[in-house]
Amino acid sequence: MISERLKKIICDELYLDSATIEINDETQAPEVPGWDSLNHANIIVAIEKNFGVRFKGLEVLKCNNVGALQRLIDSKVSK
Amino acid sequence: MIGIDFSKIGDLFLFDPNDPLLFGSSLFLFLFVALLIIYRLVAKSNNTRISILIVFSLFIYYKASGIFLLLLILNAIANFYFGNGMGNAKTQGGKKIFLILALVFNLGLLAYFKYTNFFIQAIIDFNIGNLELLDLIMPLGISFYTFKSLSYILDIYLETMEPTDSFRDYFLFVTFFPNILSGPIDRAVKFLPQIRKEYFLSNKEIAMALMLIMMGLVKKIMIADYISLNFVDRVFDEPVRFTGVENILAVYGYALQLYCDFSGYSDIAIGVGLLLGFKLMENFNYPFKAKSISDFWKRWHISLSSWLLDYVFRPLQIGLRDWRKAGNISALIITFVLVGFWHGASWAFLFWGLLHGIYMAIGLLVQGPKRKLYLKYGLNKSKIFGAFQIFITFNLVAFSFVFFRANDFNSAIDVFKQIIFFFKPGVFIQFVESFTPTFVLIFLGFFFHFLPSSFNDKSVTLLSKMNIFVQAIILTLIIWLVTQVQSADLQPFIYFQF
Repeated sequence: MISERLKKIICDELYLDSATIEINDETQAPEVPGWDSLNHANIIVAIEKNFGVRFKGLEVLKCNNVGALQRLIDSKVSK
Repeated sequence: MIGIDFSKIGDLFLFDPNDPLLFGSSLFLFLFVALLIIYRLVAKSNNTRISILIVFSLFIYYKASGIFLLLLILNAIANFYFGNGMGNAKTQGGKKIFLILALVFNLGLLAYFKYTNFFIQAIIDFNIGNLELLDLIMPLGISFYTFKSLSYILDIYLETMEPTDSFRDYFLFVTFFPNILSGPIDRAVKFLPQIRKEYFLSNKEIAMALMLIMMGLVKKIMIADYISLNFVDRVFDEPVRFTGVENILAVYGYALQLYCDFSGYSDIAIGVGLLLGFKLMENFNYPFKAKSISDFWKRWHISLSSWLLDYVFRPLQIGLRDWRKAGNISALIITFVLVGFWHGASWAFLFWGLLHGIYMAIGLLVQGPKRKLYLKYGLNKSKIFGAFQIFITFNLVAFSFVFFRANDFNSAIDVFKQIIFFFKPGVFIQFVESFTPTFVLIFLGFFFHFLPSSFNDKSVTLLSKMNIFVQAIILTLIIWLVTQVQSADLQPFIYFQF
């Protein structure tokens, strides 16, 4: 499950209204309007800041959908 | 009795450095039809079918590159074992060792054959040392198959795929003849699963393959070769002998030529692959319809741009993310300089890549204000503004190709000087009169490019509903038409040299 908090960070970063956007475990970046390769890093930085965590480069590169990103965050937060 | 010199026939099958087996040559067409017939006869036996395909692929590569066939085989063997080693490694450190080995092996060979003399020349030019250039011949297709192999290794490292345990399957992936010399740079993750699928072609797929092959031949032989030999080459050889208006037409003509040459090759490769039961990666998607440079790179040489996006830009961008915008810009510039360098070991290609990096960086810097401006005036919905964006993007791209094509840096500057200081618009009428076929081909080339893409889909549907004999007649007609226009010799594909 994608937490409301993660969804809000993504939507805020992309100037989207989180009420109108559907994001689930299987969602991939290109399916979200505006989430392109150029501002991908901004979203990652915003997530790190908000959750107070730090990802390794390889961990981020391995995430192939939002579900994987959520699991990565969870694994860092629970430590 | 017709006297046949059998020793000459034998020669046809031997390596000749001046005569690689080009798509579109009659010998290739003959052999390919023979392959297809045998292939369909043995379609039920997957093993036989794949074995025949491997032998044919090795023959095609031998015909183009001779002894370098051994290097290709070595590449396949080495990368298969690097991939397996990585898959079996228990720790992240173990995986990393195989990654480094694979990078050193693949990039080392590529660098040796492609870039050694560039660096020696630079050392000589900058008076750093006294060296002599090496007598190196670059193996055809090395830039393409090296990147294909690396995508396999990197995808295993990034856990996008598991290594295959079949050496035969991996060997076919590396040596597959349709894309070995000039791409598309396919991904193992998409290609490997197709090998074990049953061989079946729907009517629609046959029509699509025929359409791709026909369009590819028309683009390459009718448009690219014709306008290059009859017009573009002449202007670029001596820009100062032509007016600005002719120079600008040559710049636009070259953009079309490069597109038709390279996408024509890709179309044929994809069509030929499809007839053999393989879906290759899309490589071009109407690139001149792009509304921005970043849009252009999603449509031009997609298999290379997406490769660099996945394996160079993303890792760099994530690694440099703490620099925020500066990190993004650095990643962009490095990636695009590499795009240029991939095309060839020369300052012109480096500069061309850098220019696109700068275009992209500027695009990124103005992203925020641009979004506000577009929203305020509703520009995103305006068709006229869309056309304006397409026009600007096309010009930025076409003028960047001047550095790609010009014989040297000074002659590139001459092209710009002629356009700025010696334009002479009146010469346009003379040009149309004296270069009528060239003008018509350039016009038609762009006209078909800008037709809605549904036009192509409709043509494929129409073709798929036709009887096989009608399809054969259309194919023959197109080949006949192409041979009528064909200029003396078939010109080698521009992208073979990369």
